[in-house]
Amino acid sequence: MSRSLRIGFIGNPNCGKTTLFNAYTGANLKVANWPGVTVEKKEGHYTYDGVEHVLIDLPGTYSLTSYTMEEIVAREYIMSDEVDVIVNVVDASNLERNLYLTLQLLELKKPMVIALNMMDIVEKRKMEIDMHRLPEMLGVPVVSVSARKRQGLKSLMHAIIHHQDQVTSDPIIHEHKTVSKHRHDHHAEYAMVYKDEIEDLIDDISEQLLNKYPEIVNVRYHAIKYLENDPAIRKKYPLNKEYDSYESEIINEKYDFIEEIIHECLINKEKVALFTDRIDRILTHRIWGIAIFLLIMAIVFFLTFTIGDIFSAYVEEFISFLNISLENILTNLHVNELLIRLICDGIIAGVGGIITFLPNIIILFFALAILEDSGYMSRVAYIMDDIMSSLGLSGRAFIPLLLGFGCTVPAIMASRALENKKDRLKTMMITPFMSCSARLPIYILFSQMFFGKYAMFAAYSMYVLGLIVAIVVAFVLHIIDHKKNENPLLIELPEYKIPSGRTVFIYVYEKVKDFLTKAGTTIFIASIVMWILLNFSFSGYTTDMSTSFAAMIGKAIVWLFAPIGLGYWQIVVAIIAGISAKEVVVSSSAVLFAISNINSMEGMVLMRDSLATLGFTSLNAYCLMIFCLLYVPCFGTIMTIKKESGSLKYTLGVVGFQLLVAWLITFVVYQVGMLFI
Amino acid sequence: MTLDKGIIGKSYQVKNIDLDDKLTKHLQAIGMTKDVIITILNNKHHGTLIIKLRQTRYAIGRHISNKIEVIPCQEA
Repeated sequence: MSRSLRIGFIGNPNCGKTTLFNAYTGANLKVANWPGVTVEKKEGHYTYDGVEHVLIDLPGTYSLTSYTMEEIVAREYIMSDEVDVIVNVVDASNLERNLYLTLQLLELKKPMVIALNMMDIVEKRKMEIDMHRLPEMLGVPVVSVSARKRQGLKSLMHAIIHHQDQVTSDPIIHEHKTVSKHRHDHHAEYAMVYKDEIEDLIDDISEQLLNKYPEIVNVRYHAIKYLENDPAIRKKYPLNKEYDSYESEIINEKYDFIEEIIHECLINKEKVALFTDRIDRILTHRIWGIAIFLLIMAIVFFLTFTIGDIFSAYVEEFISFLNISLENILTNLHVNELLIRLICDGIIAGVGGIITFLPNIIILFFALAILEDSGYMSRVAYIMDDIMSSLGLSGRAFIPLLLGFGCTVPAIMASRALENKKDRLKTMMITPFMSCSARLPIYILFSQMFFGKYAMFAAYSMYVLGLIVAIVVAFVLHIIDHKKNENPLLIELPEYKIPSGRTVFIYVYEKVKDFLTKAGTTIFIASIVMWILLNFSFSGYTTDMSTSFAAMIGKAIVWLFAPIGLGYWQIVVAIIAGISAKEVVVSSSAVLFAISNINSMEGMVLMRDSLATLGFTSLNAYCLMIFCLLYVPCFGTIMTIKKESGSLKYTLGVVGFQLLVAWLITFVVYQVGMLFI
Repeated sequence: MTLDKGIIGKSYQVKNIDLDDKLTKHLQAIGMTKDVIITILNNKHHGTLIIKLRQTRYAIGRHISNKIEVIPCQEA
C-alpha cells in the first residue's frame, strides 16, 4: 500500500498549473491567460489507486531567487518539508525559458517529475519535442500532458507515485562540448554541470560546509546557493573563507545548457506563431492601442447595460409573480400579517430587487472573462504603462484596476503581483474607486429613474469618474512622494488564444455563485435588519417609518449629508447599510419605500414619486450615484485591504480617505449643480 | 547603444545590464543573459518596448530598456 503524498505544482507563471490542479481535483479555481492569476497557494485532493494524495497549487515563479511576493510564497513552500514530490509544470510551447526553473529545481534533489504541458499547442505549431532525449538530459521523468484537454493525467500521477522516493536522478547521458579536466566527472550524476572553475569552488565549499555543518543534506545545492550569494544560506551557514558571487555566471551557464537541450530536443524551433504578432501590431499600436482599449471597454459596458436590461425584465416579471403568489399563499394560510410584511416587503423586496440585476452582472463578467482568457490583460499593462508611469506606478498596476470593474476583492489581491510594497499600497488605495459590479444596480436603477434616455450616459459617466478619481489620487500621491518612485514595467505577454469555453464558464459561474450567495446572506440579512429597523421604534411595531429606529439613526447624521445633496434620512440609512455590500443601497431603498419590485417600470415610477415628494431631484440622484461610487467599499473589501496590507492603521486610513474623497467630490458636484438649477 | 533606441523588427545582442541587483537577477532568470539576442516587436516613443526574448514576448518599461546595453545584430 503506498502512502499519501503531498504533491507540489510549481512552474513559471501562466504555464497551466492551476488548470492542471483543477483537472485533478475538480476545483474551480480561477484560471486566465495572463501571468500572476494565482496569488495564494491552494490545496486539493486526488485519489489514485485507493490512496488520497494532497495536491498543492502554487503561484507561478520564474526562478527560486525571489523577486515578487508570489515568488517568495512558492519558493519557501517548495523548499520546506511540506512537499514530498515536486511536479514541475513546464509550458512545452515555451520550453527555453521554463527549463531555467527546472534546472534550479533539479538542484534541490527532491523527488521530481516534469509535466510537459500544452503539448497540443506544440503540435499545432508543427514543433516536436524529443521525449526520449529530454529525460535523458535532465535525469527525471518527463510526462506530456494537456491540462486543458485533460490528457495524460493518469500517466503523470503514475510517474509521481513511481518516483516518490527517488532522490538520485536517472542515468544522465550527456556529452559535453568541452572535455572537463575536473577531478570528478559530475556529468553522470548531475544534469547541470558548471565549468571547471565553478565546479572546483562548489567542491571546495561543499567540503567546508560538510566539515562545519555535517547535518546538511544535499550539500551541492547549498554550495551553489553559497556561490550565488544567497543571503539566507550565507547567513545560516557562515564559512571562514570569503567567496565572490558567481550568480551571473551560474545563470549564464544554466542558459547555455538549456540552449544545448533545446538544440537537441526541440525540432522546428523557429516556427512560432505569427498570429500573435499580427494581432499585437494593431492592439498594441502606439497610437491606436489606447483608443482600441477604450473602445473595448465602452463595448463591454454597453453590452452590460443594454443586453443585460433585456434579460433583467424577465427576471423582474418572475420575481413580481413570485411575490404576489407568495403573498396570496401566505394570506390564505392565515400567516401572521407581520411575518407576511417581513417576507414580502423585507426579504423579497430586498433580495429580489438585487437578483433582477443578475443578467447585467453575468454579461459584465462574461466580457471580463473573455478579456482575461484571450491574453489581452498583459497588453493593457503595456498600453497603459506611459500613463501609469507618470503616476509613479508601473503599467502592471493597471491590471488590478481593470479587474476592479468586476469585483474589488480579487482586484486588490491581484496587486500582489506588483514588485514593491509601496506600489501595492498605492494600488490598493485607488482600486476601490474603480466601479465594481456591485455598484451597477445603483447606477441602473437611479439613472433609469431620473435620466430617461440619457440613463446610459449617466451610468457611463460613473465609470469614467471612478477612473479619473483613481488617476488623480495616484498622481497626488506621486507628487507627495516627490516623484521618486521608478517602478519599471516587466510583464510577460502570452500568446493570444481563443478563450476556452470551460474557463469562461467557470469564471462566470463562480461569480454568479458569489453574487447569489451574497444575495442569500449579506443582502438577505441586511434586508431583514433594515425592515426591522424601519418598522419598529421604542414603542414597538410602527407603520410610520419616520419614527422608526432607522429614521432616528439617519436623522442623527443627516446634517452631514445635506451639503452634498443627500440630506434625506432614508438615503442616509441606505448609504450606511451599503457598507455591508453596495447592492444593499438598492435593496434597502426597496425596503425603505416598500417597493416589492424596484427594478420594474411600476416600481421605479413609485419610487421616483416617493422621492419627488421629498424634493429629491435628478441632481440629488446623480450625487447619490457619485457618493456610492466613491465612498467606503464594501465590508469584504475592507477586510481584504486589512489582510493584504497587514495594517489596521493603513486600512482605517484608506476608509477615512475614501469617505472624505466621496464627500468632497459630491459636495462640489452638488454645489456647482445647484448654480444651474 | 541602449535597447530603448532600438528599431521595431530589428534584433540586438545584450552586452550589459545596468540595473539594481534584484531586477538584473530577475531579467537574467527570464533569460536575459549576456550575448543573448533580443528582437524588438514594438517601441513606443518613450522606449516602452515589447521584446521577444528566447521565444517569449515581454513588455518592458523604458526605465529598464534604457539600462540595457546592446549592439545591433548583423543582418543575416
